[in-house]
Amino acid sequence: MVKIVHGAIRAGAALVALAIALPAFAQETVKIGAVYPLSGNSASTGNYAKMAFEMGADIINNGNPELAKIFPLAKGGGLPGLKGAKIQMVIADNQGTPAAGQNQTLRLITEEKVAALICCYQSGITLTASAVAERYGVPFLNAESVAANLTERGFKWFFRTTPVAADFAKAYSTFLKEQQAAGRKVDSIALVHENTEYGNSVSSVISDAFKKDGLNITMNVAYSANSTDVQPQVLQLKEKNPDVVIFVSYTSDAILYAKTMKEVNWKPAILIADDGGFNDPAFTKAMGSVTEGLISRSVFAPGKPGSVPAILDALYKKKTGGDGLDDVSARVLQGFFVVADAINRAGSTDPAKIRDALKATDLKPDQLVAGYDGVKFDDKGQNVLASTLVTQLRNSQYVSVWPKARATDPLVLPYKGW
Amino acid sequence: MNARRLIQLALLVAVLIYPFLTLESPVYQRLGALVLLAAIGASAWNIVGGYAGQVSVGHAVFFGIGAYSAVVAFVHADLPPIVGAPLGMLLSVGVAAVIGVPTLRLSGHYFSMATIAVGELVRVLSSTSDWLGGAQGLGGPAMPRTVFDLSFMSAMPYYYIFLAVLAFLLGMTWWIERGRMGFYLRAIKDSERAARSLGVSAGRYKLYAYMLSAAFTSLAGSLYLCMFGFIDPESGFGILLSVKMVVMAALGGAGQLFGPLVGALILVPVEELSNSLLGGEGAGITFVVYGAIIVIIARFLPAGLLSLFERRPTAEKPAVSTANPASGHAD
Repeated sequence: MVKIVHGAIRAGAALVALAIALPAFAQETVKIGAVYPLSGNSASTGNYAKMAFEMGADIINNGNPELAKIFPLAKGGGLPGLKGAKIQMVIADNQGTPAAGQNQTLRLITEEKVAALICCYQSGITLTASAVAERYGVPFLNAESVAANLTERGFKWFFRTTPVAADFAKAYSTFLKEQQAAGRKVDSIALVHENTEYGNSVSSVISDAFKKDGLNITMNVAYSANSTDVQPQVLQLKEKNPDVVIFVSYTSDAILYAKTMKEVNWKPAILIADDGGFNDPAFTKAMGSVTEGLISRSVFAPGKPGSVPAILDALYKKKTGGDGLDDVSARVLQGFFVVADAINRAGSTDPAKIRDALKATDLKPDQLVAGYDGVKFDDKGQNVLASTLVTQLRNSQYVSVWPKARATDPLVLPYKGW
Repeated sequence: MNARRLIQLALLVAVLIYPFLTLESPVYQRLGALVLLAAIGASAWNIVGGYAGQVSVGHAVFFGIGAYSAVVAFVHADLPPIVGAPLGMLLSVGVAAVIGVPTLRLSGHYFSMATIAVGELVRVLSSTSDWLGGAQGLGGPAMPRTVFDLSFMSAMPYYYIFLAVLAFLLGMTWWIERGRMGFYLRAIKDSERAARSLGVSAGRYKLYAYMLSAAFTSLAGSLYLCMFGFIDPESGFGILLSVKMVVMAALGGAGQLFGPLVGALILVPVEELSNSLLGGEGAGITFVVYGAIIVIIARFLPAGLLSLFERRPTAEKPAVSTANPASGHAD
């Protein structure tokens, strides 16, 4: 009888010891929340972002031998700073509405207990969702919303990795100054933009930046993106014959300009098109052959073989079944790696520690998938090293030509056209 | 005190203490507030769409006016957003008069189509106005400055504010329903021509109902802005908002006092929970559910869910009146 009791006690003690020891051995998971537009107008973007998150988590959890040589978090086996804790992405749908974005953010924080949030693509939704995270004290990283006011709210938990309009303007300005130093004429610059919110705001930011840097905008042409004839504007350009033309356009008008310039047979020495319509595959397919040498921007270019972006681009193509990383998905993936890196360095899922780690983030360009100069946050949470690559159209494909450190191809000027 | 009374009392108590029952779950607490907010919008719509039978599918115009009035009070005058609410209500009443005078002459779906057109027009115009933040929209206070900003972390204050507004709105609707105007509106709904021939000034009463409905829809918009802190043309004037008001009222029972509340009680949780459970898969299942509900109501329950409870007592009235009322309702 006594023996049985002793046995039972011993067995019980062993069980208790096991139960205490188990958590230490158990694979912990770190939850990261993401609230993206998986339905609604931007569903396509949101679903590409979702695939980027899944791929990023898979690389950290299961490793990738090729990437591991140059990218410390790709060794596999989870986050080394948290004893190999795996990352679990909790992805929710913001339905393209600020209300759903805020409700889902609250759910991820209070029910899913995510350690950090990456959110939300649309600026308006980022605005409302981050207000919830701020109150609950959860680190919130935005990877792609460009509204300037997001970082002006005095928030303590808000971080943004993406460049904003001012960074794009700065890139153009620096690029043109370099061309000037190399002996090209950039004395007269024409700014042609469509006349709604997008065109007006981007062009005013470009004007301000150029004025500060001493570049002369000699012509400012506003037009309606719905117009079916842009000959008056192109003839106006032909008459003044500026050295540089910068377009801020949507897709159909971009195509119209390319056509009309060929018809009128006029081209400037340097033709820059700010992302937008000129980066649409529809444009490059239709007009690529007559816009050879067109200059644009993108935060992503696959870069040299064997580099971080090139390997990730190949992996992403496998994941999506053909589509490579682009301007948006590269920014999303970059946001994910910044958060993962911060949690790893924090060595904890404690929000305050993750925030401190985010503040101390200092990533170098060769560690990035996006073409930034690095990742380092200022007091407002904005990445001060956010920048963009300048790309050039070569055989209907954009290749990166500037800055030199990350260029895959040499810059070819003047603009060739057709 | 019969069983029906007891159930009503229990429901009332549940409504009053709901935020305390959900203290542990901010998501469910917030869900309560969202139901009430949707019920305010749908109940306001119910005055003109349900009682008067004028199916407006452009009520987002007034919701947006309310929301923008609140945010403009903050952005352009540095006042607490709620200060914009009465201005929004006044403006909405004025706009309702301007829209209503010509469009309420149209009957049936011609009126609905006109309201859709006006709604879309306002949405497009608002997105071209820099003063209203253009397509990007405007944000309220990032962090509350004083309690008057009505910006709270917990959903509990919103719950009780919305509950008070809803109670007032339903009380007023109940009062109208029982008064002369209620009879006029129902007469107009059944047959406008007959009502006119009996001396009801149909045009005038339809307009009154429309203006009153606009004022409260606008208030719902202002309250939305206080809670969410941001408005853009799509979330203020989007057609989906107008459609939701119609669907909620129709699901519960248009032209019935508690119809819109019942509709909101079902649709809002369906929307939120389906998005929470299935949204991550990226299937957009919420809208499939919405569509299915619209089809099912139209086919099987054109008078709304509340009609399920009403049909029986009227059919069995003689039997019930002779039996013990308590047992008559208990089965």
